[in-house]
Amino acid sequence: MIGLALQMLRADRAKYFAMILAVALSIFLMQNQASIMMSVFAMTGSQIRDVSEAEFWVMEPDTECFDQVKPVPASALYQVRGTEGVSWAVPLTKIDGYARTESGKLSVVTMMGVDDASLVGLPPRILKGKAEAVRERGTVMIDPGGANLLFPGEKDVIGKRVRIGSESLRVVAMSDASAPFTGFPILHMARTTTLMLRQAEERDTTFIVGAYKPGVDVAAVERSLRERFGLKALTAEGFMKSSRDYYAAQGIPLLFGLTIVIGLVVGTVITGQTFMMFVKENSRHLAVLKVVGVTARQFAGMLAAQAATVVFLGCCFGTALAAGTSELARELPFLRGVFLPGWVAVATCVALTVVTGVAVMMSFRTIQQLEPAAVFR
Amino acid sequence: MTTAPEIQKTVLPNERWDAVACRGVKKHFGEGDARVEVLRGVDFGATLGEMTFLVGPSGCGKTTLISVIAGLLDPSEGQLDVLGHGHGELNGTARVLFRRRNLGFVFQQYNLLPSLTAAENAAVPLIADGVRRGVAVKRATELLDRLGMGDKAGVMPKVLSGGQQQRVALARALVHEPRLIICDEPTAALDHKTGESVMQLLATAAVAPDRAVIVVTHDNRVFHHAHTIAHMDDGVVTHIESNQH
Repeated sequence: MIGLALQMLRADRAKYFAMILAVALSIFLMQNQASIMMSVFAMTGSQIRDVSEAEFWVMEPDTECFDQVKPVPASALYQVRGTEGVSWAVPLTKIDGYARTESGKLSVVTMMGVDDASLVGLPPRILKGKAEAVRERGTVMIDPGGANLLFPGEKDVIGKRVRIGSESLRVVAMSDASAPFTGFPILHMARTTTLMLRQAEERDTTFIVGAYKPGVDVAAVERSLRERFGLKALTAEGFMKSSRDYYAAQGIPLLFGLTIVIGLVVGTVITGQTFMMFVKENSRHLAVLKVVGVTARQFAGMLAAQAATVVFLGCCFGTALAAGTSELARELPFLRGVFLPGWVAVATCVALTVVTGVAVMMSFRTIQQLEPAAVFR
Repeated sequence: MTTAPEIQKTVLPNERWDAVACRGVKKHFGEGDARVEVLRGVDFGATLGEMTFLVGPSGCGKTTLISVIAGLLDPSEGQLDVLGHGHGELNGTARVLFRRRNLGFVFQQYNLLPSLTAAENAAVPLIADGVRRGVAVKRATELLDRLGMGDKAGVMPKVLSGGQQQRVALARALVHEPRLIICDEPTAALDHKTGESVMQLLATAAVAPDRAVIVVTHDNRVFHHAHTIAHMDDGVVTHIESNQH
């Protein structure tokens, strides 16, 4: 009977495709919004994640997220290095400022001043040029999004110049820095270059990054830094979570969540409604089947097969569309951080399947209530 | 040219009712002021190897009576015995399975599933009973061939004429070799010539020693096919005639 049920379903092409389309669009909307939300939240930790060598981040106690620039005292670096359990520690300077290109293009930029000696703080992958090149004073490494924004249409930005304040900096490399939450260009440079930009500034260190000695009690080190020096220390994971939580509290999940729920409701309402219409319009044929001896269990199997087909195809098309969109977005410099997590794809499909299941159960009730004797009238 | 049947009046109740026996069957719908008595004590039956016609004016309760016999409606009162099973012996799924295996139906409007081919339509009772689709369709195709529809087995119902659709419906009613066939106005939607040929087919293909056929009809031009004609009016069977073939 399953085969016959599917044949009946496919025969009503308008409703068959309407249901698949409704499921596909609903899935696309949910997955797209969920993936953007996940990606946006992942971006809140992009620059933390990029400092792959750092196991901990030390900062001012009031700092809640990476994008809050609150410098630590100059003495903090030595205090951290002198703390029991710390293997090594280096300064990391984050400055937000304006950059202007020779063509007059102006943009807010995020500058990351890394330790000159170790270069800890540079992104793990360099796309063009050499990492060591930034040791030279007055040079910077730019990210692809930044290159696209500051030098639109330029294929090769190596050798180009940007003016920050009164200094002209030369681009010597391009990094594969993760897409930042702010969307600003990310300029990595040696710390001496950042000092050059902030000449008289004493409080020039924003973060201190480092690693623990093997087997050390991480919580004890963090407690020690807090109690002895008034510094806040977080693991890299902890700092990413703190940044994520900070932005989550701004209502972003609510806005995305609303769209996701709308996607779920609209998709299931259209699918459920169309499915119920399909059942109602076929009620005479279903009554005939009832008369010739199709049992309730067989009807349940038939409906389940029809719904499963629609949901499966809709989920496949919707997921393919969402994944395709993510892949296309990845090609765009500023959307390269967008991704579709596997669990989001699975969760949205499961959610839609469950809600559609309820609609199918309502359709089953309609069949149960069908008066088979009506076929004689 | 068909000769007019010779009519004989029979005595009720009939001990020959070995396929279907209804005695004092009543059926009402609704309660209180809305209560409608549709069957008001029906004595009716069908005999194996015979074609029994149930005739009467519209609204007299014919459709309700065959729905009760088919187990689609429960009688409110009275005794009902179908193929040796009294009413109440079978309930729920057991009744559905009994109907699936022992009863065949032909409807006025054919009621073929538009998305299935003629052979698939005819095979539905077998498929519902768990016979593999390929086997069921093959058996249905063979039966359609015997009913003169072999070349239409793969055709969709919408391209078949009324008479052809009714033949497919007849194949659907016969394919699982049921012991009781219930036909509701099988010729009502057909012209006389086509209706006559469908009835001829019904008489030759459906009537068998171990099978009873009940035909509800208004069409007195096909009465000569009946072995027995039960006249119904206002919820009761008023008299039963026997045709001498």
